[in-house]
Amino acid sequence: MPGVERSPRQLAEFLYLLTRQELKARYKGRFLGYVWALAHTFALAFVYWIAFKIIIGLDVTNYSVYLVAGMFPWVWLSMGVTSATRGFVANAPLIKEMGVAHAILPLASVMQEMAHFMLALPALIAWVVLPGGYEPAASWLWQIPLLLVLQLAFVYPIALGCAVANAYVRDLEYLLGVGFPLLFFATPMVYPISIVPEPLHHYFELNPLHALMQSWRSLFMEGALDPAQLAYVAGWALALGAVAWLLYRALAPRVGEVV
Amino acid sequence: MTSAVTCEGLWKTYQRHRPVGVKTLLLGTSPPADTRFAREWALAEVGFQVPHGRSFGVIGANGSGKTTLLSILLGTVQGDRGRVGLNGNVASLLELGAGFHGDLSGSENVFLYGSILGMRLAAIRQRFEQIAEFSELEGAIEQPLRTYSAGMVARLGFSIIIQSGADILLIDEVLAVGDARFQAKCHGALREFRARGGTLLIVSHNMKEVTEVCDEGICLDLGRVVDAGPMAGVAARYQERMAVAEPARGASRAGR
Repeated sequence: MPGVERSPRQLAEFLYLLTRQELKARYKGRFLGYVWALAHTFALAFVYWIAFKIIIGLDVTNYSVYLVAGMFPWVWLSMGVTSATRGFVANAPLIKEMGVAHAILPLASVMQEMAHFMLALPALIAWVVLPGGYEPAASWLWQIPLLLVLQLAFVYPIALGCAVANAYVRDLEYLLGVGFPLLFFATPMVYPISIVPEPLHHYFELNPLHALMQSWRSLFMEGALDPAQLAYVAGWALALGAVAWLLYRALAPRVGEVV
Repeated sequence: MTSAVTCEGLWKTYQRHRPVGVKTLLLGTSPPADTRFAREWALAEVGFQVPHGRSFGVIGANGSGKTTLLSILLGTVQGDRGRVGLNGNVASLLELGAGFHGDLSGSENVFLYGSILGMRLAAIRQRFEQIAEFSELEGAIEQPLRTYSAGMVARLGFSIIIQSGADILLIDEVLAVGDARFQAKCHGALREFRARGGTLLIVSHNMKEVTEVCDEGICLDLGRVVDAGPMAGVAARYQERMAVAEPARGASRAGR
Protein backbone atom coordinates (compact mmCIF):
# COMPACT_ATOMS: atom_id res chain seq x y z
CA MET A 1 0.00 0.00 0.00
CA PRO A 2 1.41 3.36 -0.94
CA GLY A 3 1.58 6.28 1.42
CA VAL A 4 1.53 4.62 4.80
CA GLU A 5 4.31 2.23 5.74
CA ARG A 6 2.98 -0.82 7.56
CA SER A 7 4.99 -3.65 9.01
CA PRO A 8 3.35 -7.06 9.55
CA ARG A 9 3.27 -6.34 13.28
CA GLN A 10 1.56 -3.02 12.74
CA LEU A 11 -1.01 -4.76 10.50
CA ALA A 12 -1.61 -7.38 13.19
CA GLU A 13 -2.22 -4.64 15.74
CA PHE A 14 -4.54 -2.85 13.33
CA LEU A 15 -6.49 -6.08 12.80
CA TYR A 16 -6.74 -6.54 16.55
CA LEU A 17 -8.08 -3.00 17.03
CA LEU A 18 -10.60 -3.33 14.18
CA THR A 19 -11.89 -6.61 15.62
CA ARG A 20 -12.02 -5.31 19.16
CA GLN A 21 -13.78 -2.14 18.02
CA GLU A 22 -16.57 -4.13 16.44
CA LEU A 23 -17.01 -6.37 19.48
CA LYS A 24 -17.05 -3.40 21.83
CA ALA A 25 -19.48 -1.46 19.67
CA ARG A 26 -21.81 -4.44 19.45
CA TYR A 27 -21.84 -5.34 23.12
CA LYS A 28 -21.29 -1.90 24.62
CA GLY A 29 -23.81 -0.61 27.12
CA ARG A 30 -25.92 -3.72 26.81
CA PHE A 31 -25.59 -6.23 29.55
CA LEU A 32 -27.72 -8.59 27.52
CA GLY A 33 -25.78 -8.08 24.29
CA TYR A 34 -24.07 -11.43 24.63
CA VAL A 35 -27.32 -13.17 25.47
CA TRP A 36 -29.06 -11.66 22.43
CA ALA A 37 -26.30 -12.87 20.14
CA LEU A 38 -26.77 -16.41 21.46
CA ALA A 39 -30.54 -16.27 21.59
CA HIS A 40 -30.81 -15.61 17.87
CA THR A 41 -29.07 -18.86 16.91
CA PHE A 42 -30.77 -20.93 19.60
CA ALA A 43 -34.18 -19.58 18.62
CA LEU A 44 -33.55 -20.47 14.98
CA ALA A 45 -32.48 -23.98 16.00
CA PHE A 46 -35.64 -24.24 18.12
CA VAL A 47 -37.80 -23.35 15.12
CA TYR A 48 -36.16 -26.05 12.99
CA TRP A 49 -36.50 -28.50 15.87
CA ILE A 50 -40.24 -27.85 16.05
CA ALA A 51 -40.66 -28.03 12.28
CA PHE A 52 -38.57 -31.08 11.54
CA LYS A 53 -38.65 -33.12 14.74
CA ILE A 54 -42.16 -32.47 16.04
CA ILE A 55 -44.12 -31.76 12.88
CA ILE A 56 -42.34 -33.79 10.20
CA GLY A 57 -41.10 -36.41 12.64
CA LEU A 58 -37.51 -36.60 11.39
CA ASP A 59 -35.71 -39.40 13.21
CA VAL A 60 -32.23 -38.22 14.16
CA THR A 61 -30.57 -39.11 17.44
CA ASN A 62 -29.97 -36.03 19.55
CA TYR A 63 -31.42 -33.78 16.87
CA SER A 64 -31.14 -30.64 19.02
CA VAL A 65 -27.37 -31.14 19.38
CA TYR A 66 -27.07 -31.95 15.67
CA LEU A 67 -28.79 -28.64 14.85
CA VAL A 68 -26.95 -26.41 17.30
CA ALA A 69 -23.49 -27.85 16.61
CA GLY A 70 -23.89 -27.00 12.93
CA MET A 71 -25.67 -23.70 13.20
CA PHE A 72 -23.10 -21.75 15.20
CA PRO A 73 -20.29 -22.34 12.70
CA TRP A 74 -22.77 -21.65 9.90
CA VAL A 75 -23.67 -18.27 11.38
CA TRP A 76 -19.97 -17.42 11.60
CA LEU A 77 -19.50 -18.35 7.94
CA SER A 78 -22.56 -16.63 6.51
CA MET A 79 -22.38 -13.51 8.69
CA GLY A 80 -18.64 -13.18 8.12
CA VAL A 81 -18.97 -13.32 4.34
CA THR A 82 -22.03 -11.05 4.33
CA SER A 83 -20.49 -8.34 6.48
CA ALA A 84 -17.17 -8.55 4.60
CA THR A 85 -19.02 -8.15 1.32
CA ARG A 86 -20.62 -4.94 2.51
CA GLY A 87 -17.33 -3.90 4.11
CA PHE A 88 -15.68 -2.03 1.24
CA VAL A 89 -18.77 -0.04 0.39
CA ALA A 90 -19.69 0.59 4.04
CA ASN A 91 -16.15 1.70 4.85
CA ALA A 92 -15.81 3.86 1.74
CA PRO A 93 -14.37 6.82 3.68
CA LEU A 94 -11.72 4.59 5.19
CA ILE A 95 -10.71 3.29 1.78
CA LYS A 96 -10.98 6.55 -0.13
CA GLU A 97 -9.49 8.92 2.32
CA MET A 98 -7.16 6.97 4.48
CA GLY A 99 -5.50 4.43 2.20
CA VAL A 100 -6.28 1.48 4.44
CA ALA A 101 -5.01 -1.93 3.29
CA HIS A 102 -8.03 -3.39 1.57
CA ALA A 103 -7.38 -7.04 2.31
CA ILE A 104 -7.37 -6.32 6.03
CA LEU A 105 -11.00 -5.19 6.10
CA PRO A 106 -12.63 -8.49 5.04
CA LEU A 107 -10.23 -10.33 7.33
CA ALA A 108 -11.41 -8.14 10.21
CA SER A 109 -15.06 -8.91 9.33
CA VAL A 110 -14.41 -12.64 9.32
CA MET A 111 -12.41 -12.45 12.55
CA GLN A 112 -15.14 -10.43 14.25
CA GLU A 113 -17.62 -13.20 13.49
CA MET A 114 -15.03 -15.75 14.55
CA ALA A 115 -14.72 -13.93 17.87
CA HIS A 116 -18.52 -14.09 18.28
CA PHE A 117 -18.37 -17.79 17.57
CA MET A 118 -15.61 -18.29 20.15
CA LEU A 119 -17.61 -16.33 22.71
CA ALA A 120 -20.58 -18.57 21.95
CA LEU A 121 -18.51 -21.76 22.30
CA PRO A 122 -19.08 -22.12 26.08
CA ALA A 123 -22.84 -21.98 25.50
CA LEU A 124 -22.56 -24.39 22.59
CA ILE A 125 -20.47 -26.82 24.67
CA ALA A 126 -22.89 -26.48 27.58
CA TRP A 127 -25.71 -27.42 25.21
CA VAL A 128 -23.79 -30.42 23.90
CA VAL A 129 -22.85 -31.63 27.37
CA LEU A 130 -25.94 -30.90 29.50
CA PRO A 131 -29.11 -31.62 27.50
CA GLY A 132 -27.13 -33.53 24.89
CA GLY A 133 -25.48 -35.83 27.38
CA TYR A 134 -22.16 -35.97 25.52
CA GLU A 135 -18.95 -36.26 27.51
CA PRO A 136 -16.56 -33.36 26.95
CA ALA A 137 -13.48 -34.90 25.37
CA ALA A 138 -9.89 -33.87 26.11
CA SER A 139 -9.19 -34.09 22.39
CA TRP A 140 -11.40 -31.00 21.92
CA LEU A 141 -8.46 -28.99 23.18
CA TRP A 142 -6.64 -29.47 19.89
CA GLN A 143 -9.58 -30.35 17.65
CA ILE A 144 -11.47 -27.11 18.24
CA PRO A 145 -8.48 -24.84 17.50
CA LEU A 146 -7.71 -26.92 14.41
CA LEU A 147 -11.24 -26.52 13.05
CA LEU A 148 -11.25 -22.80 13.94
CA VAL A 149 -8.12 -22.25 11.86
CA LEU A 150 -9.44 -24.41 9.03
CA GLN A 151 -12.75 -22.56 8.88
CA LEU A 152 -10.95 -19.20 9.00
CA ALA A 153 -8.76 -20.29 6.07
CA PHE A 154 -11.86 -21.42 4.18
CA VAL A 155 -14.05 -18.38 4.87
CA TYR A 156 -11.49 -15.59 4.41
CA PRO A 157 -10.89 -16.15 0.66
CA ILE A 158 -14.65 -16.19 0.04
CA ALA A 159 -15.03 -12.99 2.05
CA LEU A 160 -12.12 -11.28 0.26
CA GLY A 161 -13.37 -12.25 -3.18
CA CYS A 162 -16.95 -11.18 -2.45
CA ALA A 163 -15.82 -7.89 -0.89
CA VAL A 164 -13.70 -6.83 -3.83
CA ALA A 165 -16.28 -8.01 -6.37
CA ASN A 166 -19.10 -6.20 -4.55
CA ALA A 167 -17.29 -2.88 -5.00
CA TYR A 168 -17.79 -3.32 -8.75
CA VAL A 169 -21.03 -5.30 -8.88
CA ARG A 170 -23.20 -3.90 -6.12
CA ASP A 171 -25.95 -6.48 -6.42
CA LEU A 172 -23.66 -9.14 -5.04
CA GLU A 173 -24.59 -8.41 -1.44
CA TYR A 174 -28.25 -8.95 -2.27
CA LEU A 175 -27.43 -12.12 -4.18
CA LEU A 176 -25.69 -13.40 -1.05
CA GLY A 177 -28.84 -12.65 0.94
CA VAL A 178 -30.63 -15.06 -1.39
CA GLY A 179 -27.73 -17.47 -1.80
CA PHE A 180 -26.98 -18.28 1.83
CA PRO A 181 -30.48 -19.55 2.73
CA LEU A 182 -30.39 -21.67 -0.45
CA LEU A 183 -26.98 -23.04 0.49
CA PHE A 184 -28.22 -23.65 4.02
CA PHE A 185 -30.88 -26.04 2.80
CA ALA A 186 -28.68 -27.51 0.07
CA THR A 187 -26.21 -28.47 2.80
CA PRO A 188 -27.25 -31.15 5.27
CA MET A 189 -27.82 -28.78 8.20
CA VAL A 190 -31.34 -29.48 9.41
CA TYR A 191 -31.45 -33.00 7.99
CA PRO A 192 -28.80 -35.74 8.01
CA ILE A 193 -27.16 -36.69 4.74
CA SER A 194 -28.44 -40.24 5.25
CA ILE A 195 -31.97 -39.23 4.24
CA VAL A 196 -30.78 -37.72 0.95
CA PRO A 197 -31.79 -40.09 -1.91
CA GLU A 198 -28.88 -42.39 -2.80
CA PRO A 199 -28.26 -41.16 -6.38
CA LEU A 200 -27.80 -37.58 -5.08
CA HIS A 201 -25.51 -38.53 -2.20
CA HIS A 202 -22.38 -38.02 -4.22
CA TYR A 203 -23.31 -34.47 -5.19
CA PHE A 204 -24.12 -33.49 -1.62
CA GLU A 205 -20.77 -34.81 -0.50
CA LEU A 206 -18.95 -32.64 -3.04
CA ASN A 207 -20.16 -29.60 -1.12
CA PRO A 208 -17.22 -28.39 1.00
CA LEU A 209 -19.67 -26.73 3.38
CA HIS A 210 -21.01 -30.17 4.20
CA ALA A 211 -17.53 -31.47 5.00
CA LEU A 212 -16.86 -28.45 7.22
CA MET A 213 -20.17 -28.55 9.09
CA GLN A 214 -20.04 -32.33 9.42
CA SER A 215 -16.60 -31.95 10.98
CA TRP A 216 -17.99 -29.63 13.67
CA ARG A 217 -20.84 -32.01 14.40
CA SER A 218 -18.68 -35.11 14.57
CA LEU A 219 -16.26 -33.21 16.80
CA PHE A 220 -18.97 -32.45 19.32
CA MET A 221 -21.00 -35.63 18.94
CA GLU A 222 -18.26 -38.22 18.45
CA GLY A 223 -15.09 -36.46 19.63
CA ALA A 224 -13.53 -37.41 16.30
CA LEU A 225 -12.54 -35.69 13.08
CA ASP A 226 -12.43 -37.33 9.68
CA PRO A 227 -9.01 -36.52 8.13
CA ALA A 228 -10.42 -36.97 4.62
CA GLN A 229 -13.06 -34.31 5.24
CA LEU A 230 -10.51 -31.94 6.75
CA ALA A 231 -8.21 -32.42 3.78
CA TYR A 232 -11.12 -31.80 1.40
CA VAL A 233 -11.96 -28.49 3.13
CA ALA A 234 -8.27 -27.52 3.19
CA GLY A 235 -8.03 -28.22 -0.54
CA TRP A 236 -11.00 -25.95 -1.17
CA ALA A 237 -9.48 -23.30 1.06
CA LEU A 238 -6.28 -23.34 -1.01
CA ALA A 239 -8.15 -23.21 -4.32
CA LEU A 240 -10.44 -20.41 -3.12
CA GLY A 241 -7.41 -18.60 -1.75
CA ALA A 242 -5.73 -18.67 -5.16
CA VAL A 243 -8.86 -17.41 -6.92
CA ALA A 244 -9.48 -14.69 -4.33
CA TRP A 245 -5.88 -13.54 -4.51
CA LEU A 246 -6.00 -13.22 -8.32
CA LEU A 247 -9.32 -11.38 -8.10
CA TYR A 248 -7.94 -9.09 -5.43
CA ARG A 249 -4.77 -8.40 -7.39
CA ALA A 250 -6.78 -7.51 -10.48
CA LEU A 251 -9.56 -5.46 -8.92
CA ALA A 252 -8.26 -3.92 -5.71
CA PRO A 253 -6.21 -1.03 -7.16
CA ARG A 254 -9.36 0.65 -8.48
CA VAL A 255 -11.60 -0.02 -5.49
CA GLY A 256 -10.95 3.48 -4.16
CA GLU A 257 -12.63 4.92 -7.27
CA VAL A 258 -15.76 2.80 -7.38
CA VAL A 259 -16.88 2.71 -3.74
CA MET B 1 18.09 17.18 -2.15
CA THR B 2 15.10 14.98 -2.95
CA SER B 3 11.65 16.46 -2.63
CA ALA B 4 9.15 15.27 -0.06
CA VAL B 5 6.33 15.26 -2.59
CA THR B 6 6.87 14.94 -6.33
CA CYS B 7 4.17 14.98 -8.96
CA GLU B 8 5.12 14.86 -12.65
CA GLY B 9 2.86 15.05 -15.68
CA LEU B 10 -0.09 13.52 -13.85
CA TRP B 11 -3.18 12.72 -15.90
CA LYS B 12 -6.36 11.20 -14.60
CA THR B 13 -9.73 10.46 -16.09
CA TYR B 14 -12.74 8.99 -14.34
CA GLN B 15 -15.61 7.35 -16.25
CA ARG B 16 -13.77 4.13 -16.99
CA HIS B 17 -14.47 2.36 -13.73
CA ARG B 18 -17.98 2.51 -12.49
CA PRO B 19 -19.83 0.06 -10.29
CA VAL B 20 -22.30 -1.92 -12.37
CA GLY B 21 -25.31 -4.09 -11.70
CA VAL B 22 -25.65 -7.79 -12.36
CA LYS B 23 -27.83 -7.03 -15.37
CA THR B 24 -25.06 -5.03 -16.99
CA LEU B 25 -22.53 -7.70 -16.19
CA LEU B 26 -24.63 -10.48 -17.71
CA LEU B 27 -26.07 -8.67 -20.72
CA GLY B 28 -23.03 -6.57 -21.41
CA THR B 29 -25.14 -3.50 -22.00
CA SER B 30 -24.42 -0.26 -20.29
CA PRO B 31 -26.69 2.72 -19.74
CA PRO B 32 -25.60 5.84 -21.62
CA ALA B 33 -22.94 7.68 -19.67
CA ASP B 34 -24.08 10.71 -17.75
CA THR B 35 -21.95 13.43 -19.29
CA ARG B 36 -23.51 16.45 -17.63
CA PHE B 37 -20.61 16.97 -15.25
CA ALA B 38 -18.11 14.84 -17.12
CA ARG B 39 -15.06 16.26 -18.73
CA GLU B 40 -12.31 14.46 -20.45
CA TRP B 41 -9.73 14.89 -17.73
CA ALA B 42 -10.11 15.11 -13.98
CA LEU B 43 -6.45 16.05 -13.87
CA ALA B 44 -4.39 17.08 -16.88
CA GLU B 45 -0.63 17.30 -16.81
CA VAL B 46 -0.41 18.31 -13.18
CA GLY B 47 3.12 18.69 -11.90
CA PHE B 48 4.78 20.22 -8.85
CA GLN B 49 7.38 19.52 -6.22
CA VAL B 50 7.37 20.18 -2.49
CA PRO B 51 10.78 20.17 -0.78
CA HIS B 52 11.12 18.79 2.74
CA GLY B 53 10.02 21.16 5.47
CA ARG B 54 7.89 23.30 3.16
CA SER B 55 4.21 23.96 3.11
CA PHE B 56 2.24 23.73 -0.11
CA GLY B 57 -1.29 24.90 -0.83
CA VAL B 58 -3.72 23.64 -3.47
CA ILE B 59 -6.63 25.92 -4.28
CA GLY B 60 -9.32 26.01 -6.93
CA ALA B 61 -13.06 26.00 -7.44
CA ASN B 62 -15.25 23.01 -6.49
CA GLY B 63 -14.67 20.14 -8.88
CA SER B 64 -11.32 21.42 -10.09
CA GLY B 65 -9.53 18.21 -9.11
CA LYS B 66 -8.09 19.04 -5.69
CA THR B 67 -9.44 16.00 -3.88
CA THR B 68 -8.56 13.72 -6.79
CA LEU B 69 -5.01 15.00 -6.56
CA LEU B 70 -4.82 14.26 -2.83
CA SER B 71 -6.35 10.80 -3.35
CA ILE B 72 -3.72 9.97 -5.96
CA LEU B 73 -0.94 11.19 -3.67
CA LEU B 74 -2.37 8.99 -0.91
CA GLY B 75 -2.54 6.04 -3.30
CA THR B 76 -6.26 5.39 -2.88
CA VAL B 77 -6.89 6.38 -6.50
CA GLN B 78 -4.51 5.66 -9.34
CA GLY B 79 -3.43 8.12 -11.98
CA ASP B 80 -3.58 7.19 -15.66
CA ARG B 81 -0.26 8.72 -16.65
CA GLY B 82 2.54 10.48 -14.87
CA ARG B 83 4.40 9.85 -11.66
CA VAL B 84 3.84 10.72 -8.03
CA GLY B 85 6.31 10.11 -5.28
CA LEU B 86 6.15 10.67 -1.55
CA ASN B 87 9.35 10.55 0.38
CA GLY B 88 8.38 9.74 3.97
CA ASN B 89 5.50 8.54 6.11
CA VAL B 90 2.16 10.11 5.30
CA ALA B 91 -0.80 10.97 7.51
CA SER B 92 -3.96 12.46 6.11
CA LEU B 93 -6.97 14.31 7.42
CA LEU B 94 -9.20 14.45 4.38
CA GLU B 95 -12.75 13.83 5.46
CA LEU B 96 -14.16 14.72 8.83
CA GLY B 97 -14.87 11.60 10.86
CA ALA B 98 -13.46 9.14 8.31
CA GLY B 99 -12.01 6.23 10.24
CA PHE B 100 -13.83 7.16 13.44
CA HIS B 101 -16.41 4.90 15.01
CA GLY B 102 -19.41 6.65 16.55
CA ASP B 103 -20.12 4.09 19.26
CA LEU B 104 -16.59 4.13 20.60
CA SER B 105 -15.28 6.74 23.01
CA GLY B 106 -12.86 9.46 21.96
CA SER B 107 -9.94 7.68 23.55
CA GLU B 108 -10.80 4.35 21.90
CA ASN B 109 -10.97 6.20 18.61
CA VAL B 110 -7.51 7.63 19.22
CA PHE B 111 -6.17 4.08 19.17
CA LEU B 112 -8.17 3.02 16.13
CA TYR B 113 -7.35 6.14 14.13
CA GLY B 114 -3.70 6.05 15.13
CA SER B 115 -3.53 2.47 13.90
CA ILE B 116 -5.22 3.44 10.63
CA LEU B 117 -2.50 6.05 10.20
CA GLY B 118 0.08 3.31 10.63
CA MET B 119 1.13 3.96 14.24
CA ARG B 120 2.24 1.15 16.49
CA LEU B 121 0.18 0.52 19.63
CA ALA B 122 3.15 1.31 21.87
CA ALA B 123 3.60 4.68 20.15
CA ILE B 124 -0.08 5.54 20.55
CA ARG B 125 0.00 4.66 24.26
CA GLN B 126 3.11 6.73 24.72
CA ARG B 127 1.62 9.81 23.02
CA PHE B 128 -1.95 9.42 24.26
CA GLU B 129 -1.55 12.03 26.99
CA GLN B 130 -0.25 14.64 24.53
CA ILE B 131 -3.04 13.85 22.07
CA ALA B 132 -5.74 14.19 24.73
CA GLU B 133 -4.18 17.36 26.05
CA PHE B 134 -3.85 18.99 22.63
CA SER B 135 -7.48 18.21 21.75
CA GLU B 136 -8.68 20.00 24.94
CA LEU B 137 -11.61 17.60 25.02
CA GLU B 138 -10.97 16.83 28.72
CA GLY B 139 -13.76 14.68 30.18
CA ALA B 140 -15.51 14.34 26.81
CA ILE B 141 -12.71 12.10 25.56
CA GLU B 142 -14.35 9.19 27.40
CA GLN B 143 -17.76 9.90 25.83
CA PRO B 144 -18.96 8.11 22.67
CA LEU B 145 -17.90 9.92 19.53
CA ARG B 146 -21.47 10.22 18.25
CA THR B 147 -22.09 12.78 20.98
CA TYR B 148 -19.32 15.01 19.57
CA SER B 149 -19.87 18.14 17.50
CA ALA B 150 -18.09 18.51 14.17
CA GLY B 151 -15.59 20.83 15.80
CA MET B 152 -14.80 18.27 18.50
CA VAL B 153 -14.25 15.55 15.88
CA ALA B 154 -11.91 17.86 13.98
CA ARG B 155 -10.00 18.61 17.19
CA LEU B 156 -9.54 14.93 17.90
CA GLY B 157 -8.55 14.13 14.31
CA PHE B 158 -6.03 16.94 14.13
CA SER B 159 -4.56 16.11 17.54
CA ILE B 160 -3.90 12.55 16.37
CA ILE B 161 -2.31 13.32 13.00
CA ILE B 162 -0.05 16.00 14.46
CA GLN B 163 1.24 13.39 16.97
CA SER B 164 1.35 10.55 14.46
CA GLY B 165 5.03 10.99 13.71
CA ALA B 166 4.34 11.33 9.98
CA ASP B 167 6.80 13.24 7.80
CA ILE B 168 4.14 14.45 5.37
CA LEU B 169 0.65 15.68 6.28
CA LEU B 170 -2.18 15.94 3.75
CA ILE B 171 -5.02 18.09 5.06
CA ASP B 172 -8.25 18.81 3.19
CA GLU B 173 -10.30 21.69 4.50
CA VAL B 174 -11.17 20.14 7.82
CA LEU B 175 -9.79 22.81 10.10
CA ALA B 176 -12.54 25.20 9.04
CA VAL B 177 -14.95 23.74 11.60
CA GLY B 178 -12.71 24.45 14.59
CA ASP B 179 -13.14 27.68 16.52
CA ALA B 180 -10.73 30.56 15.94
CA ARG B 181 -8.60 29.81 18.98
CA PHE B 182 -8.21 26.16 18.09
CA GLN B 183 -7.40 27.05 14.49
CA ALA B 184 -4.66 29.35 15.75
CA LYS B 185 -3.37 26.52 17.93
CA CYS B 186 -3.38 24.19 14.91
CA HIS B 187 -1.45 26.70 12.83
CA GLY B 188 1.09 26.97 15.63
CA ALA B 189 1.42 23.17 15.75
CA LEU B 190 1.83 23.04 11.98
CA ARG B 191 4.63 25.62 12.17
CA GLU B 192 6.39 23.47 14.76
CA PHE B 193 5.80 20.42 12.59
CA ARG B 194 7.54 22.14 9.69
CA ALA B 195 10.32 23.38 11.90
CA ARG B 196 11.00 19.70 12.67
CA GLY B 197 11.34 19.10 8.93
CA GLY B 198 7.76 18.02 8.25
CA THR B 199 6.11 18.70 4.93
CA LEU B 200 2.59 19.99 4.60
CA LEU B 201 0.10 19.84 1.72
CA ILE B 202 -3.14 21.68 2.31
CA VAL B 203 -6.31 21.98 0.26
CA SER B 204 -8.42 24.92 1.29
CA HIS B 205 -10.97 27.49 0.21
CA ASN B 206 -9.88 29.80 2.99
CA MET B 207 -7.45 32.14 1.22
CA LYS B 208 -6.41 33.84 4.43
CA GLU B 209 -5.51 30.46 5.93
CA VAL B 210 -3.51 29.14 2.97
CA THR B 211 -1.67 32.44 2.59
CA GLU B 212 -0.76 32.32 6.26
CA VAL B 213 0.26 28.66 6.38
CA CYS B 214 1.69 27.92 2.92
CA ASP B 215 4.88 29.12 1.24
CA GLU B 216 3.99 28.06 -2.24
CA GLY B 217 1.05 26.60 -4.05
CA ILE B 218 -0.87 25.89 -7.20
CA CYS B 219 -4.32 26.77 -8.42
CA LEU B 220 -6.30 24.12 -10.31
CA ASP B 221 -9.05 24.84 -12.79
CA LEU B 222 -10.84 21.98 -14.57
CA GLY B 223 -7.97 19.68 -13.73
CA ARG B 224 -5.18 21.90 -15.05
CA VAL B 225 -2.61 23.91 -13.16
CA VAL B 226 -3.48 27.46 -14.12
CA ASP B 227 -1.24 29.23 -11.63
CA ALA B 228 1.76 28.34 -9.52
CA GLY B 229 4.26 30.14 -7.36
CA PRO B 230 4.41 31.89 -3.99
CA MET B 231 1.12 31.25 -2.21
CA ALA B 232 0.15 34.86 -1.55
CA GLY B 233 0.27 35.70 -5.24
CA VAL B 234 -1.54 32.56 -6.36
CA ALA B 235 -4.31 33.17 -3.82
CA ALA B 236 -4.70 36.82 -4.74
CA ARG B 237 -4.92 36.12 -8.48
CA TYR B 238 -7.40 33.28 -7.81
CA GLN B 239 -9.65 35.60 -5.86
CA GLU B 240 -9.52 38.16 -8.67
CA ARG B 241 -10.46 35.55 -11.26
CA MET B 242 -13.31 34.22 -9.11
CA ALA B 243 -14.70 37.73 -8.70
CA VAL B 244 -14.39 38.84 -12.33
CA ALA B 245 -14.58 35.86 -14.62
CA GLU B 246 -17.43 33.84 -13.16
CA PRO B 247 -20.07 34.47 -15.87
CA ALA B 248 -17.63 33.97 -18.74
CA ARG B 249 -16.29 30.76 -17.24
CA GLY B 250 -19.75 29.34 -16.80
CA ALA B 251 -20.47 29.97 -20.47
CA SER B 252 -17.27 28.30 -21.62
CA ARG B 253 -18.03 25.22 -19.57
CA ALA B 254 -21.51 24.88 -21.03
CA GLY B 255 -19.96 24.88 -24.50
CA ARG B 256 -17.71 21.91 -23.81
